[in-house]
Amino acid sequence: MMYFFILFWTVMVFASIAWYGFLLFYVGAKGGREIARLTKDLSQRED
Amino acid sequence: MPGSSWPGQQKEIVTLSFIDLAIVGVYLLACLTAGLWMRRFVRGVEDFAVAGREMDLNLGIASLAATELGLVTVMYTAQLGYEKGFAGATVGVLMAGAMYVVGRTGFVIGPLRRSGVMTIPELFQNRFGTRVRWLAGLFVVLGGVLNMGVFLRVGGEFLVHVTGLPAYSLELIMVGLLGLVLLYTVFGGMLSVLVTDYLQFLIMGLGIVVTSLLVIGDCGWNSLVQELWVSWDGTRADGTRLAAHPFNPFHASSLGWGYVLWQALFQVAVVTTWQTQISRVLCAKDEQTAKRMYQRASFYFVGRFALPVLFGAGAFVYFSHQGGLTGDLNSRTAMPAYLATLLPAGVLGLVIAAMLAAEMSTDSGYLLTWATVIYNDLIMPCVKRPLSPRSRLLLTRLLVCAIGVFLVFYGLLYELKGNVWDYLAVTGNIYLASVFTLLVSALYWPRSNRHGALAALVLGAIGPLTFLIVNAKADQAHQIAPEVAGASSFALAFLGMIIGSLAGSSRADQPVTEVLR
Repeated sequence: MMYFFILFWTVMVFASIAWYGFLLFYVGAKGGREIARLTKDLSQRED
Repeated sequence: MPGSSWPGQQKEIVTLSFIDLAIVGVYLLACLTAGLWMRRFVRGVEDFAVAGREMDLNLGIASLAATELGLVTVMYTAQLGYEKGFAGATVGVLMAGAMYVVGRTGFVIGPLRRSGVMTIPELFQNRFGTRVRWLAGLFVVLGGVLNMGVFLRVGGEFLVHVTGLPAYSLELIMVGLLGLVLLYTVFGGMLSVLVTDYLQFLIMGLGIVVTSLLVIGDCGWNSLVQELWVSWDGTRADGTRLAAHPFNPFHASSLGWGYVLWQALFQVAVVTTWQTQISRVLCAKDEQTAKRMYQRASFYFVGRFALPVLFGAGAFVYFSHQGGLTGDLNSRTAMPAYLATLLPAGVLGLVIAAMLAAEMSTDSGYLLTWATVIYNDLIMPCVKRPLSPRSRLLLTRLLVCAIGVFLVFYGLLYELKGNVWDYLAVTGNIYLASVFTLLVSALYWPRSNRHGALAALVLGAIGPLTFLIVNAKADQAHQIAPEVAGASSFALAFLGMIIGSLAGSSRADQPVTEVLR
């Protein structure tokens, strides 16, 4: 049972590092475009 | 243990170099510029509080992640890692599970976004009347602001210990940090918060990944696991013991079955009721965006616990080789003291910028959220004459400033004893039990009414306060376990809602469909 938990936390820690790295690039690229679109929409509002 | 520094001598604390200061300076300047730049788009309270409901998916993920991963989060999870090993990250796994399920099913967040409200208590106006809305708003603000009260002090502690600055600089750091955050939050509101959250998400993610790799590289994963294990089973040569099982959260010495089961339910309430998280749902373009944001951000919350726990576990093993904690170090400040010996010049600047980002993104999101609740649910229902848009915006900005001033004084005067996680759980629970009950009843139980809502509010808050007083007076053997205290609060709140609603019929209450307009 102890080995199951060690394996579980090993997977969780390394998967978290990989996921954080992936999100840096994915959300970084997409989020930048969304900010550009957001500011464009806001500046084109009426009034 | 190749590359490990544990068995050797104590390492020198790295001091800030020019490149470290340059990295921190560039980050702060970029944040401030971006935050102030968004000010031009703020036209009214709707823009200020919920970004005109224009937030798209990835910006939402970045903002949600940045707001809910603060420097205080890194500190208390590292403290859990120091005291309980990797089992301390169990709450993060449960939270991620709750977020995914809620995102997948749309439980609470779907109808909440459809309702078009700006805050949770506003939803109660149609369903239960103004009195319930006001009282719920008061509970939300009390629990939220007290919860946030320790953020600045704990964040300042990290910076003092990781940079080796003198202890008296803690207050200056607290005020300086808050001043920067207030500057862009007061002017740009949620629009500034979203853009600065995005920048902070990037720098924070980079800093956490680099630190994680350095901690693993410093000691080796297998060695870290082995060191924790021998510290637990008592076979370490130097006799250092870890009191809790470092891997099995169900073990009696660790969290235990009861606590894990309780947290599994509690986290559902957190992700559907904690106003700072819900404010991202309410900013989203539509219901579908909000649900996808929850699903995609869910696994981030595993790392939110597991990676700082890794830092804390590394600190435990490092200091156990140094003969234990010395001087003013404790389980809370051990992690930054360990990182100060580990991070090389340049990387130290990156990590400090990352932790400043974590602190600032959380502070800005929380300041804005609680100010919005005070404006929307405590002041506006009491105002007889409608205020002009300019006055409403000015009022909200003043409230952000007022909360900021309160936080500085509270942070300076309140001496935090014991575990940070326990403090946050108790203050958060002041409103979670009662408001979660109201939220679920308002959305899913047609027979609920204002009598039940008032009973749930009172009973849900009496529970945590009673346990707080009892535990302060009782000796160690007669303390009430946190899972018993927490579960009882929710049970009392739901019981109050059911009995109150069935006992008092109220024709004035609106049906569920009316709440959702």
